[in-house]
Amino acid sequence: MFENVKKDELKYVGKKVERLDADEKVTGSALYTGDLVLPGMLYAKVKRSPYARAKIVRINTKKAEALPGVHCVLTGAELNYRVGLYLVDKYVLAKDVVRHFGEAVAAVAAETPVIAQKAVDLIEVEYEELEPVLDCVKALDKNAPLVHPDLGTYEYVQAVFTPVPGTNIANHTKLRKGDIEKGFKEADFVFERTYKNPNVQHVPMETHVAIGQWLPNDKINIWTSAQSPFTVRNLFAYSFKIPRNNIRVIVPYIGGGFGGKAGIGLEPLACCLSRKAGGRPVKLQATREEEFSLLPCRSALVYKIKTGVKKDGKIVAQQMTMYWDSGAYADYAVNVTRASGYSGAGPYEIPNAWLDAYTIYTNKPFGTAYRGFGHVEFSWGIERNMDYVAKQINMDPLKFRIINALKPGSITLTGEHITENTGNVVKCMEAVAEKINYGKLTAEEKQYEKRTGMKIGKSVVALHKAPAMPPFTATSVILKMNEDGTVIANIALSEIGQGAYTALAQIIAEQLKFPIEKVRVSIDSDTDKEGYDWQTVASKGLILSGNAAILAAQDLLKKAYNVAAQILRANPVDLDNDGEKIFLKHHKDKCVYFSQIAVGYSYPDGNGIGGPLIGVGVYCAQGLTNLNKETGQGLPALDWTYGAHGVVVAVNSYTGEFEVLKIASAFDVGRVINPQCVRGQVVGGVVQGLGTAMCEGYIYDGKGKLLNPSFTDNKIFTSLDVPEIIGIAVETPQIDGAYGARGVGEHPMIAVCGGVGNAIENACGADLTYMPIRQEDVWRALQKKK
Amino acid sequence: MLIKVNINGKDYEKDVAPYKNLLYFLREDCGLTGTKEGCGAGECGACTVIMNGKTVNSCLVLAVEANGAKIETIEGEAVNGKLSKIQEAFKKHHAVQCGFCTPGMIMSVKALLRKNKKPKEEEIKEAIDGNLCRCTGYKQIIEAVQDITGQLKKEEEIIYV
Amino acid sequence: MLYEFDYISPKNKNELLEIIAEKNGECKILAGGTDLLVDIRNGIIKPKFVVDIKTVKDFPKITYSEKEGLIIGPTITCFDIIENKLIQEKFPALVLTAKELGSTQIRNRATIIGNICNASPCADMSLSLLCLDASVDIISKEGTRRVKIKEFFTGVKKTVLNKGEVVEKIIIPAVMANAKAGFKKLKRIKGHDLSLVSVCLVKKGKIMRVAVGSAAPTSVVSDDIDSNSDFPTVWSKIEKLINPIDDIRCSKDYRIFMVKVYLERLLKEVK
Repeated sequence: MFENVKKDELKYVGKKVERLDADEKVTGSALYTGDLVLPGMLYAKVKRSPYARAKIVRINTKKAEALPGVHCVLTGAELNYRVGLYLVDKYVLAKDVVRHFGEAVAAVAAETPVIAQKAVDLIEVEYEELEPVLDCVKALDKNAPLVHPDLGTYEYVQAVFTPVPGTNIANHTKLRKGDIEKGFKEADFVFERTYKNPNVQHVPMETHVAIGQWLPNDKINIWTSAQSPFTVRNLFAYSFKIPRNNIRVIVPYIGGGFGGKAGIGLEPLACCLSRKAGGRPVKLQATREEEFSLLPCRSALVYKIKTGVKKDGKIVAQQMTMYWDSGAYADYAVNVTRASGYSGAGPYEIPNAWLDAYTIYTNKPFGTAYRGFGHVEFSWGIERNMDYVAKQINMDPLKFRIINALKPGSITLTGEHITENTGNVVKCMEAVAEKINYGKLTAEEKQYEKRTGMKIGKSVVALHKAPAMPPFTATSVILKMNEDGTVIANIALSEIGQGAYTALAQIIAEQLKFPIEKVRVSIDSDTDKEGYDWQTVASKGLILSGNAAILAAQDLLKKAYNVAAQILRANPVDLDNDGEKIFLKHHKDKCVYFSQIAVGYSYPDGNGIGGPLIGVGVYCAQGLTNLNKETGQGLPALDWTYGAHGVVVAVNSYTGEFEVLKIASAFDVGRVINPQCVRGQVVGGVVQGLGTAMCEGYIYDGKGKLLNPSFTDNKIFTSLDVPEIIGIAVETPQIDGAYGARGVGEHPMIAVCGGVGNAIENACGADLTYMPIRQEDVWRALQKKK
Repeated sequence: MLIKVNINGKDYEKDVAPYKNLLYFLREDCGLTGTKEGCGAGECGACTVIMNGKTVNSCLVLAVEANGAKIETIEGEAVNGKLSKIQEAFKKHHAVQCGFCTPGMIMSVKALLRKNKKPKEEEIKEAIDGNLCRCTGYKQIIEAVQDITGQLKKEEEIIYV
Repeated sequence: MLYEFDYISPKNKNELLEIIAEKNGECKILAGGTDLLVDIRNGIIKPKFVVDIKTVKDFPKITYSEKEGLIIGPTITCFDIIENKLIQEKFPALVLTAKELGSTQIRNRATIIGNICNASPCADMSLSLLCLDASVDIISKEGTRRVKIKEFFTGVKKTVLNKGEVVEKIIIPAVMANAKAGFKKLKRIKGHDLSLVSVCLVKKGKIMRVAVGSAAPTSVVSDDIDSNSDFPTVWSKIEKLINPIDDIRCSKDYRIFMVKVYLERLLKEVK
């Protein structure tokens, strides 16, 4: 809606506006869950498995229970509850077996963290170590041990997922478009390669934390750093069979999520401890090491791509097989598999396509949602593959991409028709190519090569993503007017740092024609007080909640106009408003102030009419469908945000040392609502993408023990690591987007890895098919080349 | 053990366990929750405070070591309800997203600017190298500091095509 | 901290030595805390007492004389080294290695003597000290003994320090003043990281020394080498000293490769 309003007609949308939560954050007054202290609160610590796969033979908690200051100890034996977003496969505490290194087997609630830790150290666990399943492709062997022998008994979302009982396959997503055999026959060349990437951690600066309180009559209060308060409530209600109106989930400020906090995490355990401790609130905060192995990470991927291409550069067939190493539990991973499944060829048209994506159980920390939801992982394979195929047929990789790019008239993997308004990936590619002077070296770059002896390489890669969400995803926004005419918006979409609240405030101010200072968004989310929002994931916040915000603002004005019409004895259609008052269009002096009607209007004699002005906006995704389980065909995509990166690297082809000099990143966002927020997402996402490409990744030993569970050996980028980053916005309006806007939260991270890998290869010939790309890996690839 | 610490200009006298670190002392004993724990091991900088004029990871300082020391935390940055130049610049340049690293980051910037009135870009990056941020990618933070020191030539912006 | 311990703050050397002799094995010295407190937090060591060396008033700080050389006491931090004008001028090797240790926050607390007593094979400061032919004075109730730094390290996190002993000072001979220096450190990111492998080279007059870190159980240093030696000559001496391993940070052969690369660069750069 309002996608065609011109830029110069807008007051707030598209303009620079400071974040409305900045004051609290720059003063340190913002309260995060870890800052909260409740009366009687206890502190929890967990005992974790040192083994990737083992039988729990015996747990002795007597000494722990006897320690003064300990209020309760729990083991899996007492908790017969399973939790799961799409496949209900995880006990709150490991029961009978442990399935990954770092899994919690027991928990303690005590008066101080020191006592809790002492108690944990006193818990004796006897394990029988078992051979773990660590290779996701080998996990498919007939004789591979089963991570979940009872897979056939688990409940799951039948309309969407296909687990295969008796195997380690938690889900198999299939896509069949066209005639793959015919396609390969038509091809002039067929190429096949496999690409790999490891588990990676989100590393939010605030680790997972939850406070659970289980009161008599099963009244539950949860304070948590979670992206999706309604999902926490929903899954909790489902697993514990408690009515939703008994459960209250409150989310204060969140210190970063990136998908890791999208589902349910520590909340069930914190609540169960509270129940055993007689209803005292229990705070459970993960240490940084626990963040790396107790909490979930991003699945690893083995991606096999077979491409059939004609001499003229058109791809005619592609067979794609994704082996998702999703660790011990299905969590979001089954959906990551599905979402990558329908998107897995990248923003290119594949007339004949086969895709098989498997969510595979292994004995490792499990994969959950992570910014990009599978797209960062598979874009490594796809973008490296595009360059590989182009080179094999002697075509410039950018030209190859443009020839095959999805354009108006193209048909996607799932049979969706691309239109003029879907977005423009070619424009994104051309924009970044220009910014990095693709195809040539500038005088400055030539000087650089001379001065340093390094070789410069450039690459352009492209990306796309649609929100991975149920086709009926809906949200709501409640807009209340205060006595003085200011408004407060209650939005259960969470502010995890992405700036959504500020953008929504801008949209509301624009619709209401109010100065933005009059619009506040309530930061804390509270399922008791806010209208439902599905989850803060998938880059769908701005489009769905933006629309709901517009509708809420319109509803508020409609209600206000109705009251004003009575007072002014006018027809609402003849009214207009500014930031202070509602007036008759043709007699502007005939007006009533918002502050006069905000909570009801009283006539001079005392008669009252109206009441509190509350606008409600509800918006649901429309026209989307489930995917056919056999063919993968359907309409799953709310919107497609396209993008491209132009990457410039310099490589020392003797030592493998390399440096990313510059990245230009363009995204077709439909409409920029807040340019600084968009830039923040672009820079932040690109840097996170570089981290994943260059230095992040879990390392295990042969027994599945995580060897780098802390910042010592699991590095992320610092301020010294950041190259020049140029952010570019293309604005092909999204017809059903709020002011034409699409999301861009995840996209900047996607395909950066492919861009870096391609640019390195273009610079020095080092051919890498796995991530991360460390300096040593470039050197080794160059050695191999020799 | 009884310790006396001056925090943001105010004297605090508290009895504290010898093994408690300065971070928890600030957060639990003094009610100053602005300083955060990100890793507890001196790697992430979320716990950065200024101690006797120098930035330190308060997770690796014992409270008892701070006896008699002058500590500055984020809570002391705004004075009389007025945000400091650093805080205003962070707001202006969107140098804040989730905000968790922000208190420590501002302390590092504060210490830098006391020592160096016009730090070059490399010097700014060096000063905040020990403050990990997962959200912003650091650019907007660096620009905020450049703006405060009158060195921001051109506002970096999204380019529209 | 999740593990309990007691804190003792001796006022002078004698008190310190009494305490550590008495507590023999149950205590650890607390200097900057950037290694000790991390190890305690991770449950690797669980001392009953932590003895603060910073409250001892009669330790040397930084002094220099032609006779004594450069003396550095146990409370001197990386920050102190980096900011000290005399050290910047006369002993740049120390500044180069101190600058690479950790982040600003760590450098403000971490002490040089703490760094060498922790004796990690990655210890940045050990390399410059080895190249500068430093010695340490070790004191105890029994007296003082001086040990060359190249004999100080005995293995991974192991030194010649016995129970009841403490390093009182580092001594760098005055003859090494104004030596030219270079230092290169291989890291996984440009930001703060420990070294995957590191090389320090110091040249004064006819004498040159090269030290390598993270390539053996301890940091290693060459004997005195002729300053005019070419790369193959120098490498043949260094090759014998190092024996790196494969680990999650780096492989053995890349470590060896990068030592050669850094050595070659340093030979060119340090004039």
